[in-house]
Order: sequence, then structure tokens, then C-alpha cells
Amino acid sequence: MLGRTIFIDPGRCIGCQACVSACRECDSHRGKSMIHLDYPDEGHTVASLPTVCMHCEDPVAPCAEVCPADAILITADGVVQEADPTRCIGCANCVNACPFGVPKIDLDAKLQMKCNLCYDRTSYGLAPMCATVCPTGALFYGTVEELQAERPGVDVSTMFAFGATTVSTGVAMVVPSDRRTPVPGGMLNLIEVNGRPTPGNGAEA
Amino acid sequence: MPLDPSVAPLGARNFRDAGGLPAAAWRADQTEQTLVPTHCCFCGVQCGMYLRVDGHGKVFGVEPRNHDINRMRLCPKGINAYQQVNHPDRLTAPLLRRDRNQPFREVSWEEALDHTVEQINRIQQEHGRDAFGMLGGASLFSEKTYLVGKFARVALKTRHVDYNGRLCMVSAAGANKLAFGIDRAANPFADILQTDCLLIAGANVGECFPVLTQYVWGARDRGATLIVVDPRETAVARTADIHVALKSGTDSAFFNAVLHVIVEEGLTDEAFLAANTTGWAEVKAAVKAYPPSRAAEICGIPAEQVVEVARAFGRAERAMGWHARGIEHHTQGVENCLTVINLCTATGNLGRPGAGYGTLTGQGNGQGGREHGQKSDLLPGGRSINDPAHRRQIAAIWGIDESELPPAGTSMMEMVWQMQRQEIRGLIGVCNNPFVSLPNYAVVKDGYDKLEFHAQFDFFLSETAANAHVVFPVTVWAEDEGVMANAEARVVKHNKAQEPPEGVRTDTWVMCEIARRLGVGSKFAFEGSRDVFDELRRASAGTVIDYYGITYDRLEQTGGLAWPCPSLEHPGTPRLFEDGRSYHPDGKIHLQVVEWHPPADPYSDEYPMTLTTGRTVAHFLSGNQTRRLGGLVEQTPRPWVEVHPSHGFRNGEPVRVVTRRGSEVLPALVTEAIRPDHVFVPYHWPYPVAANELTIDALDPRSKIPEYKVCAVRIERAGAIDPVPAPPVPPGREAYPEAQVSRTDPLPPTAPQGRGTAERG
Amino acid sequence: MLRPPVGRASVVAAAVSVLLVVAIVLGSRGLRDFDSALVPYAVASVFLAFGVVYRYMVWVSAPAARRLFREGWRSALSWENLKRSPTALPKMIATYLGFQKFLGARSHARWAAHQLIFWGCLLAAAITFPLTWGWFTFTSSSAAGPGYEMRLWGLKLFGFDSGSFLGWALYHGLDLAAVMVIGGVGYFLWRRVRDRAATTGQRFGYDFVPLLALLTISVTGLLLTFSEMFLHGGGYEFLAILHMASVVLTLVYLPFGKFFHIVQRPAAVGMQLFKYTARRKGSDAEELQACRRCGQPIDTVAAVDNLRATMRDLRLGFDEWAEYCPRCKRVLRGSAYLATVKRGFK
Repeated sequence: MLGRTIFIDPGRCIGCQACVSACRECDSHRGKSMIHLDYPDEGHTVASLPTVCMHCEDPVAPCAEVCPADAILITADGVVQEADPTRCIGCANCVNACPFGVPKIDLDAKLQMKCNLCYDRTSYGLAPMCATVCPTGALFYGTVEELQAERPGVDVSTMFAFGATTVSTGVAMVVPSDRRTPVPGGMLNLIEVNGRPTPGNGAEA
Repeated sequence: MPLDPSVAPLGARNFRDAGGLPAAAWRADQTEQTLVPTHCCFCGVQCGMYLRVDGHGKVFGVEPRNHDINRMRLCPKGINAYQQVNHPDRLTAPLLRRDRNQPFREVSWEEALDHTVEQINRIQQEHGRDAFGMLGGASLFSEKTYLVGKFARVALKTRHVDYNGRLCMVSAAGANKLAFGIDRAANPFADILQTDCLLIAGANVGECFPVLTQYVWGARDRGATLIVVDPRETAVARTADIHVALKSGTDSAFFNAVLHVIVEEGLTDEAFLAANTTGWAEVKAAVKAYPPSRAAEICGIPAEQVVEVARAFGRAERAMGWHARGIEHHTQGVENCLTVINLCTATGNLGRPGAGYGTLTGQGNGQGGREHGQKSDLLPGGRSINDPAHRRQIAAIWGIDESELPPAGTSMMEMVWQMQRQEIRGLIGVCNNPFVSLPNYAVVKDGYDKLEFHAQFDFFLSETAANAHVVFPVTVWAEDEGVMANAEARVVKHNKAQEPPEGVRTDTWVMCEIARRLGVGSKFAFEGSRDVFDELRRASAGTVIDYYGITYDRLEQTGGLAWPCPSLEHPGTPRLFEDGRSYHPDGKIHLQVVEWHPPADPYSDEYPMTLTTGRTVAHFLSGNQTRRLGGLVEQTPRPWVEVHPSHGFRNGEPVRVVTRRGSEVLPALVTEAIRPDHVFVPYHWPYPVAANELTIDALDPRSKIPEYKVCAVRIERAGAIDPVPAPPVPPGREAYPEAQVSRTDPLPPTAPQGRGTAERG
Repeated sequence: MLRPPVGRASVVAAAVSVLLVVAIVLGSRGLRDFDSALVPYAVASVFLAFGVVYRYMVWVSAPAARRLFREGWRSALSWENLKRSPTALPKMIATYLGFQKFLGARSHARWAAHQLIFWGCLLAAAITFPLTWGWFTFTSSSAAGPGYEMRLWGLKLFGFDSGSFLGWALYHGLDLAAVMVIGGVGYFLWRRVRDRAATTGQRFGYDFVPLLALLTISVTGLLLTFSEMFLHGGGYEFLAILHMASVVLTLVYLPFGKFFHIVQRPAAVGMQLFKYTARRKGSDAEELQACRRCGQPIDTVAAVDNLRATMRDLRLGFDEWAEYCPRCKRVLRGSAYLATVKRGFK
């Protein structure tokens, strides 16, 4: 059962990047923004997608599993922490293994950094910076019950399909209430969208 | 091959998108920290925030504040706002030069003030009092806007005073006054949550008022229908139930047609109309001439959409209309607003929770800034300068003779034309940057260049200040206290978080000091904002805009009070017209007939398309503040031209945008989210990439607002894009390089909201 | 996931411990040079050897570490690599292990403090380990002395005068080390209390104990000198026991807490060499894995292949995603959400 966590609803996101600026204000990594904001429908609509660490539960934290230095700690509350700076060797395994594309790496500092759900804030009962400031509720921090009380008729999913594998996560995405299948993690072999070729499949660079 | 040849994917490998400040400068020591409750300095939503102040009394960060306007939410501008306070680009000494060919030099306050007063006296003696003008701004605290009006009339004794709200709020103000006799939004934001149908006309809520989106989404969570009228598919329009992508400059035809259908289908509230309005018969007759088919032709939309909107709005139990610059920045801006008022009134949607009408002010004090006398024709308390009774009242409060009070002046753009004609030869500008914000840059530059003397107050050297003779370094919002009124007409208090840097004074101090040197010091014996506010309260007592019951103490206790608030016990007035009565003497809502007419700039074979301008989420107005904040520059480093793919341009390709007034080359942001016959350019950047080199200086005859939102344009292929200049700084200094790193990016942002976080490096 | 090879790790660790004991016996010329007062230290060092080797064995048998371990050593031991860039490995060792340039990129102050601790500990270890093992001995060259000789495994290295600078430095080497360590540890403790980046999620056992251990060792060590020089040995015995206890506990703890990074850090050199040599081989176009969607480089082909193999070892069934850059992964997921979950608000 989901406890207090972040719920992501790209349908409400206005792409304003308040989360990106707010992330930078978080004391545990002041000046460095960990959140990603992409415009996946570039050229067609202004749709946007915020990405925080999904805190994978099963398989538990692929980033930590592929870490050769055992640098990524998963705390008892299920939060996948950023790399321990004493151990991280900056190999970037986690960056490329993460199916959600979350971790960042500082190559000069030989250090991975990623969203830790604002551990300095959540451990004191505050919401993470991004979800605190999000003007639209596209990033919502709380329990499912609190979410549904504010938004009647929504449901959430913690299951993501990457090919044949399903990854279950600690952070959830909002889905319509009738949806029962995992959220697709992306379709790699997509060669055409709405009659247009995708990049790498004949689209103009 | 370097020893460390590591490679990592784009967007994962560094933290450039973290804002351009070096990480080492971002300390997070657990020293003593004070949280000062205040509000954002930027838009008319006036979100609450805490400024984090360290043990040395310096502002170093921001913390969300659970104020009931924003409930901890903030937009990227608000989050980065605090970085202005101790920014390396701050002006810390007065700058002076006797002629524009010389470079500025830093001088003492004495020298700068003496020179200014000498020039005021010289120009006024040689050319008359009205040859010296004053331009204020709507980002000033209300106390300071009050002082700008009083300073112009009492110290300068000139009729020529106006402010930059003339570019922003005046159409809505004009329409409100005509219809309701009161100039403010009728409902608080919270009413949006209770509506069944929300009509947003010409407001890019997601980018210009991001925090307001929570109310829009909240209404939809509770089942409301969302209608967005905008030529672009903005972030709120993208998911709206109905998005009316009409041609810019056709709003009144559209709303007349909607009203036509509402009348046809019997969706009007005749009882409400009969009891509370005048002019309904005329309006009803006028809209008969606007069947959906006509609107479809004028607006370039399907006729069914008109019917769909009419039914959604007309059938809703509670409906609301909110609008912003999209319908106001037109030569019929006032009339466009009136058509929305007609729609709300005809359906009886006024004065109830979830039913009403509102206007979204652009500047932080867009509402408060127009209330207390810095507008050319207004005196404090919204009094008219043409009304003898009002003149007598204010003359008495100011301790002058009524005959000494100058008559009404002219609007901001008209004042620039007068500068060109040398009818105005000297100018003091406070809190404005017309070189970026006024239309038709060539005319503006010419007008300002003809000034014999120009002084400007600012905390960063704006493009306009960089062209002045004297620049006074003044405080940022966090270094003084004062009130602002947000888009709901809720008056909120800003608190002082830190002492101004050495050499910096408050605008209040500077105006009072010049007044003293002009020999009227006794009328400007203000120690600070508190004293000015007390006089403002008394000056507004008994008017429609009654602040008498609002005190600093009450504001600190309540988190904000909406005027009218006539007594210290009065709870304020968040919602107007609850009894159906307007503020006209007859208590009726005066409905006005509106006929659509085409925009001022005619289309031709040479200029066949429409240029529309507007804002982007990372920047604010003329950008003098936001173009210096690393995180915001990083998000949106440069302007672009938004074009539909049907024109055959590739993303990032240089496109020359040509109007009758100028041309410039911008990278193309090719997107289907804009009408094929429109192009869009954001206006926050200066020459040579200023949208306002292209726009037309045609004014609404009533409000004198320029027609920013539509002019005739053509686009063509070009060689190289125009570079974005660095923000001006005094001689010998450099615009803070850390914040300017991405300014030279030649590509357009990924989307109008900015560059995705992983787009470059 | 594979089970850690406890049995094999124990055997290897035991073997190394035995080897160390043999080395101590031989190096001290059959315990002739062995100082029986230092027995607890010597025993602790044997435990340390066991612990470190055991943890190391367990560590490098996990899939990710094992593959990188193999690739790192393969690059280091490749004759071809050595011919092509003979200076690469020594340079990397100096940069990453000695001068720790990467720490400067994190913060200059942290780099400086860490350098103090690093060189201080190294100096202390270089002096004390051979002493406790009876490998170093100092003998007076004449009965009345000031002349001394320093011997390793009983062989004379050099002679010096106890009053000379060299003599002073040799005698006070540990004090110098202690001062360096106290300086560095002081900064880190201050940071652990003040800097929110450090305090977030910090754990007493993991983050504070190592600093406190180093501090105790250094302070008690200095106090020993102080007692000897100024108190005529007052409290010396108590301090000596305290010092010994703190050293022994630290050595035994070393393989299991934060200090294990000392053993792990060379993996950074292996990793770097692996990526460096892969890029040396051919052009970027050949050696860099381009994102299959946007074409931007992700990492060296060898590193991506190594990662994919690791992911398959771990039965993470989405190793194909590793050939897409993080942004494209997000964009693909975003488009799929728009296309199949919901396009707009509802």
C-alpha cells in the first residue's frame, strides 16, 4: 500500500518549470536541480512531463543494483537515496540503467546525483520542494486518499511496462479510473506516430 | 585525448540547467535563519512567500508560504525572485552624465539630486511647468504610486503624469468603470473553485499566472467546463473542453455572436436584466447582427464552436468569465471587455459564489497602481481630476489650493509623442522600462532621445535607464515595506526582509528629497511607507476605492483585505454585486453596445499575416529583472518566433519578421499550437530582438492602451539570427556572467514555456 | 541475484591473514625485533587484513562490481594499452587516488580537508604498521648515541643524528600526522553539524563514528607526546591504553563502515581506465554508443555493453533501454502516456 508519496499527473502539467527552480532551493542539494521537465510532444503541442525519481520497489532500485560501488542506499521507508559521495566512482551505470531516465552525473566530481524525494524535508514531514510549489498539482505529495478527496474519480498506477518487464514503483502516476494495465514506459520500436515517422526512422533531424 | 574522456548523455551530465550560479555560492549552512513573510514582487496573483534571511541579515533563499492566495504554490519567477536582492548587477550609487554622448559616472547623492532639481527648474522656467513629465509604474507599492501622483502634481506641478499600467490594465479599468462604476474584479479567485463553467478569454493563465492554474484545475476537478479563447494552444488551452482559436483582434465579434446565440436560445436571465441593468434592449438589438456564421467568418473558427460556447456558458448554473491582455491590448480593448461583461450580465452571472467576472492584472500592483492617482486623469481614491468636487477634496488633503492642482494629462504613449514634438522636455521615470515595453520602439527611442533631461529610478540599469542622464539606485521590494492590491483587489502587505545595500535609497526617500529641494518639503515629510499609507487611507476615505479601514496591523493579522473597506471593523469586500447593485449612482449595471471593427494595422499582400505578442513563463514584463536571474535565463534564454509548420520553416531556422515599423530575425519555433495565419513573438527582450520594434503604436480611443496583440506582418527566410544583448550595467562592470551563460544559445526553446531540462549540455 | 560467496571469501581472507602473520614473523627476524608491547596492534592488523579481504571478496563477486573489476584489470594489464599510453595508469592513480582532483569539483574546502586526512593517515600508517610488525627498528650506532640507525627487516637503511631535523621529523612524524588529521576531521565534523547537504540522511554509525574514531586516535596520540614531554609521563599508561583501544577498534571496524571506501576507491581508476582505453581505440563514432533515438552519445560502447551484461546478470529485463539516452527514455514514456493513458486533463 502506498504511503505518503508523489503522484504525477502530466495532464495537469503546464510545463512552467517551477519544480525545476524549486528543486534547486532544496537544502540537501542547493543550486542543483534534479528534476527533469521534458516537452514530449515538441512541435505539436505544449504538453510536458515532469520526472522525479520513481523510487522503484520491484525490482528494487535497478540503479542501486547496477552500482559497482554499493553507493546507492535504499532507506527503510523505500526512498532510494542519491549516491553516497564517499563511494560513488562516477561510472554512470545508474544513469543508463534507470528505465525512467532519472539519475544525473557530475563527471568532474565523479558523483551521481538524483532526486531523493527531498529527504531533508520529507523526513521532517514537509512535502518535497517540487510538489510544494507545483502550481497545478501535476506533482502532488500525500496519500492516495488525500489525492482522491481533491480529485474525485482519479486512480493511480505504480506499474510501468518496459517491454515484457513490469517495474513497480514507490512514486505513482495518475491514470483514468478505468485503467487496469501498467502504464507504458515507452515504445522502443515505434516507427510512426500519427502517420509521422519518429526520429531515427526517417524523420527530419 | 584527455585523461578524463568520460562521456555521459545530454542532460544527465551536468547542472547547467541548475541556474548558472556556481554551486559553491549556494550555501546551505544551518546558521540562524529568519523567515520573513511577504509576497512575490511579480504578477497580479501576489503569491505569499517567505524570504530566508541569514544571520548577517541578508536574504539568501525562499521558502513556500501557506498563504490562502497560493497555498504554498509558486511559479519559477517567484522562486527565483529573491536572487535579485543581493544580485551583483544591483546599482549602488547614483549615475550621472550631462549629455548622452558621455559615459555615466558614479556620483554622490547630493550631486545627483542637485543636478536633477537644477534641470527641473531650468526646463520648467524656460518651457512651462507641463514641459516636465513623470512616468510611474504598477510594480511599485501603492504608497509609492500614491506618492508618484502627489509628487507630479504638488512638487513638479505638472499635468503630465502617467504610468506603465497604461500598457496593461486600462482597458479592463475603462470597461469596469463604464459598466459597473467600480474598477476591480468582481469575484475572488476562490470563487473559481465553485463555478460550473469557466470562460478564460485572452489569458495565458498557465504562463502568465501559473499559480492561478490551481483554481482552474480545481474547478475542473469539481466538474466545471473550461472554455479558453486564445489564438494559440497554450498550456491551459491544450486540455480545455473548448478551445476557441480565433484570429487575434476579433474578440468582440465572437462574444457578440455568443450573446446572439444565448439570446436566440433563451438562455438569458431576463429577471436579473430587468432588475439590475440599463441598456439591455440596445445590446440585444446590436448582437442580432452577429449570427454565428458571421463570427465564423470574422474570427476564422467553426460556427458550431460559437453555439457550443454559448450553450456551455448559458446553461451553466454558475458561470464565470476571466480575461487578461489577450482581449485588452486592442484598439477596441475596452469594448472587448464590455462584450464579456455583457455576456456575464445577460446570463445573470454576477455577485454569487462561482458566478461572476474578473480581470487578471499583469503587474504585481496592477490593481493598486491604478487606484491612487498616478494615472493621468485620476486622483487618489479613484477620484477624477476633471471633477471639481474631487479636486477640492484632494487639494484640501494635500494642503494646496484647488487652482494649483494641474488638469488631466495625457497617456504614456501620447507623452512619448509629445516628447518627439518637444512639448515634454524633461522626464522622471520610476519603475518602468518603456524601451522594451512600449510599442513601436523607433518612436519611443526617438522621443526619449529628444528629452533634454531624463532621470530614472531603478535597482538594475534598465535599457531605458541606460539612455538617461541621471539614474537613482533604489530599493528592491524586499528592502522596504508597503502594500499591493492583487487581481482580486485584495490588499496585501509586503514586509522588509533586509536593509538596502550601502548607497541605495527607497523611492519614497528620493521623491521626498527632490520635493524638499523644490521647496515643498513640508508636503512630503514622510519617514517611510507607513506615513504615506496613513495619508493614502485618509485620501481614499469615502470614495469607492476606500482603504480607510485597512491598516498595516490588520493586514498582518488577516493576510489581506479586499477594498472597499470603509471602517476599521469592516471585513473588506471580496465579492462585489452580491445585492445586484453596481456602484453607479443609479445602482444599475450599464450595458454597452459594442460593434466589432478590424484592427488598426491593415492587412495587405505585403503584410498578410497577424503578429501577436505576449509573455513566457520564465520572464516578467520588460525582463530587466528576470533576464538577470540565472535560472530563468537558463529556462528561456532568448526570444523566438512561433510559426505554424505550414510555412515550411524548420525548427531553429532564422526567420525575418517584418512589419510596417521594423523587422528582426529570430529563430523559428515551429509548432502546430498556433494558427497558421498567426505568428507569435514574446516581448521581454530589448532591441534588436524586441517584439515591440514590430508592434503598432495605435491606441484604444478610450483607454489609450496600445494594440500589442495584433498587427500585420510577413515572415521570410533570413541569414543569421539577431543576437540577444546582455542586460545593461554601469560602465566598467559586466552583467553577472554566471547568469548570462545561456543567453547566446541560437536555438528557440523546446516549447513556449522554455527549454526542456535536458536540451543542451 | 547471486548469493555472496561467503565460503570462498572466508578462505581467501584467512589465507591472507596467515600470510600476514608469516610476513610479520619473517620481517621481524623471527620476532627478534618484535615489540611485545605492540601485540594488540599487530593482532588488530591481522583482523583488519581478514576483514578487508573478506569484504573485498564479497564486494567484487556482486555482478556489477565483478564485471567492472574484470574490465578494469583487463585494461590495466593489457600490454597493448601500456604501449599505447604508458603514462595513463600512473597519472590516473596520482589524480584520483593521490590528489583526488574530483573532490575539488565537489568543494574546494572538502578537498583540502580530505587531503589533510588522507596524507595524515597515510603517513601514520607508513610509520606505525612496519613498527608494530617489527619490520622497522631503530638502533643506536654507539652506546652513548646521538647517532641512530634505521633498519628495515634488520637491514640498515640510513643513520641519523637524533638532534637533527630528520631525527626530529622521524620522532614526531606521528604527531604531524595527528595534527593533519585533526584539522581535516575538524572541518568535516563542523560540516556534519552545519551543512544541510551533509546533514540530510546522515547516520551516526556511518558518518560520525569514523570521524570521531580518527579524532580520538589523533588526540590521544598527541596527548601521549604531551605527557612524555611536559608531564614526565604523567597519565601515560592510561592514555596509551585509550589510544590502543581506539586504534584497535578502528582497524577492526574499517572494513565495515565508511572507511571501506579506502579499499573501494581504486575501482574509480579501473573504471576510468576502462572508459579511457575504449575511447583510445577508435574514433568517437566507432567507440561511442549513440542513442538509438536522438543519436547523441551515451557512453562508450564497451561501457554500455558491460552495463547491459550486468543488467542481464541481475535479470533486469529492460537492458535494451540502456541504448537510449535518459531524455529519450523520458520522452518515449511521455509520448506513450499521451497516446495510450490520457491525452489531456481527464
